[in-house]
Amino acid sequence: MADQLAMPHTATPAASLRTPSADIYAPQWRNAIFVAPFLFFFTTLLLFPLLWGIWLSFHKADTFSSGNFVGLGNYVRLYHDKVFLQSIWNTFYFVLLTVPTLALIGLFLALCLNRRTRTAAVLRTLFFSSSVLSVTIVTLIWRIVFIPNVGLLSTIYGWFGATAPAFISNPSLAMIGIAIATVWWCIGLPMMLFLSALQQIPRDIYEAAALDNANRWQTLRSITLPSIKRTFVLVVIIQIVLQFQLFGQAWLMTRGGPNNLTKPIVLYIYDTAFRRWDLGMGAAASEILFILILVAAMAQYLVARNKGDRV
Amino acid sequence: MIMRKMLFAAVSAGAMALASPSLAATELTVQRFFGACDADFSTNTDVGKAVGECGIITSLINKFNADNPDVHVSVTTVEWPGYDQLTAQFASGDAPDIVTIHESALSDYQSKGLLMPLDDLLKSVGVTPDAFTDAARNGATKDGKIYGLPIDSWTMLYHINMDLFKQADLVNADGTPILPKSPEELLAQAEQFKQKTGKPYFVQNLANETALYTRNLYTYLFQQNSDFFADPKHVKLNTPEAKKVVEMYKAIFDKDYTTKDLDYGGAINAFLAGEGGVQLNGTWVVGDNNAQSQTKGTALNKGGYAVYPYPQLFGGAHAQYADGHTWAVSQKDRTPEQTAAIGKFLKFFADNDFDWSRTGHLPAYKAIISSDAFKALPHRNTIAAVADLGKPLPSAVQRQFAIQDIIGEEMSAAITGQKDVDAALADMESRVNELLANI
Repeated sequence: MADQLAMPHTATPAASLRTPSADIYAPQWRNAIFVAPFLFFFTTLLLFPLLWGIWLSFHKADTFSSGNFVGLGNYVRLYHDKVFLQSIWNTFYFVLLTVPTLALIGLFLALCLNRRTRTAAVLRTLFFSSSVLSVTIVTLIWRIVFIPNVGLLSTIYGWFGATAPAFISNPSLAMIGIAIATVWWCIGLPMMLFLSALQQIPRDIYEAAALDNANRWQTLRSITLPSIKRTFVLVVIIQIVLQFQLFGQAWLMTRGGPNNLTKPIVLYIYDTAFRRWDLGMGAAASEILFILILVAAMAQYLVARNKGDRV
Repeated sequence: MIMRKMLFAAVSAGAMALASPSLAATELTVQRFFGACDADFSTNTDVGKAVGECGIITSLINKFNADNPDVHVSVTTVEWPGYDQLTAQFASGDAPDIVTIHESALSDYQSKGLLMPLDDLLKSVGVTPDAFTDAARNGATKDGKIYGLPIDSWTMLYHINMDLFKQADLVNADGTPILPKSPEELLAQAEQFKQKTGKPYFVQNLANETALYTRNLYTYLFQQNSDFFADPKHVKLNTPEAKKVVEMYKAIFDKDYTTKDLDYGGAINAFLAGEGGVQLNGTWVVGDNNAQSQTKGTALNKGGYAVYPYPQLFGGAHAQYADGHTWAVSQKDRTPEQTAAIGKFLKFFADNDFDWSRTGHLPAYKAIISSDAFKALPHRNTIAAVADLGKPLPSAVQRQFAIQDIIGEEMSAAITGQKDVDAALADMESRVNELLANI
């Protein structure tokens, strides 16, 4: 040890003169080891199923055999299937019901609760707490609220001698019922994202506004909202992608009924592929959902690019 | 270090010694629906004490485990009917050994070679198909072989609150309920019931329901001799006969002769609370309803409980839709011990079918259905007729559960007024045929 310490330092520069230093950025095969675990899971769990799904969508296949090539046959069947077209509309309707509501209520809650009081902290926790529940618990809670005769809603309406709206079985209310449960369940994430955005706005801008005698409305419109614009877009796009995948709430609350009015695309896929064993057509419907979500993701990319920076 | 190794070896040897008795028992996996009731019956082996489908089946399996120390059955309970899960299990090669399958769903799995033919196995334990009732035997036979051990035949019934029927003056001199003999009579009696009691005649679970609608349609199509599944690959539902049935139920809905927004659990509670005259439900609630009627203070205790097959409303065959439950065995490589253990399990259920028939289901064995013990069970004098009336769909019809969903959805749309009756019938027919054409 002492010998090493005592070694003259001149040895090092001499060695580096003899061998040129390696270019650490040069491509080397062993670097692949670092990405191999990711690549393995990416290929087996994402890429392979994706390609297999596309392959299946061109075949007449059931759960226990992959049958004949039918070209675009499954897609043609989907095009003529009223229930599938209904399920696309249902999915868009659901996104339309939930995403703006989630964004606006999330923003409103964040604005109200963005303060350093204990009450605000407790309320933040309360509003976020529903997000940690599983979909089964959430739908169970809302079924207890909506169930006719003995549900919470019926009881409250009963006090005033009125009949509660049938949120689970009325054709025009069923999707709204599912949307209410979903907003209650998902409100935590938008609220938290808005809160973190609000807390990043520099205090000095508000101080400058106060010096300029700006009132609260002016401060909100000219400082707060423009500062969190990017977060707003982020929240909307995250929620669009999430709500497009509606399944559990619809399956557990209404089973897609009445008359398929609450059947979203994912439930249609489940029904077709796993309950009717028509795997090829289920795969074709999945590809359509994939394209729809891809469009939403591309929109995110375009919005981000046009703004000149990343969301 | 040596001490540690020795200790480890000693512990391992001890664990092996402790584990060996259970290693000797042959493990069988059983998967069933009928609900979970471990809180009440998880350790009960006295089957006579159990009531209801769940209680009786749980106690029967407990008793089987207790009586057969060389076999250990572990049970997975699935939500009714559990076929999505079962299909996935088959697809991943992880199917249970023994599983509850409806006779109407057997052909889906049998046609794919996923189930084991049971003729030889049953013969080896002394159970022969000629002991089955005709309905059970036909239901469990596919392509000339037995693919499930039938445990019952079931159908839908008129469960009647006699107190409300008395209030509505719908009781004969001998105390039996007056039931309709035509669609017109049904509507007239329902109106009379509503006028006199202020309550709906029917308690139905119509909220996002499909099975009830479909079974009602099948029953009244049978009663009009409509051979809608003459070709098992092509259904004919856009017919005047089907229209008559849908319009009858639509009139019942439009005139408020039925509860409307209830789900299955809600409908049971509503009937038990005396909120309507007739609940349309299956054989499986006869035991529970009868127990309620014997409990003081309940709505069914007030004036009594009666239960009947669906009334004959049309001039055709005397029939109503029926199905049955079976224990099916998955196709797998097994040791002779495992196969023998499965045989024992099936034999046990064949031997104890009387206990299962206490649920309200009709037994699957001739000897039991004609036994005095069965006849002595409450209400069996009125519902035993179902053994002759019961009629399933032709056994070659596949995907009967998926078909049930389609028919139920379209009927619901027509009856609740979301769709024109003709449009619903046309859509029903084309959707079912599209499904069948693509199997």
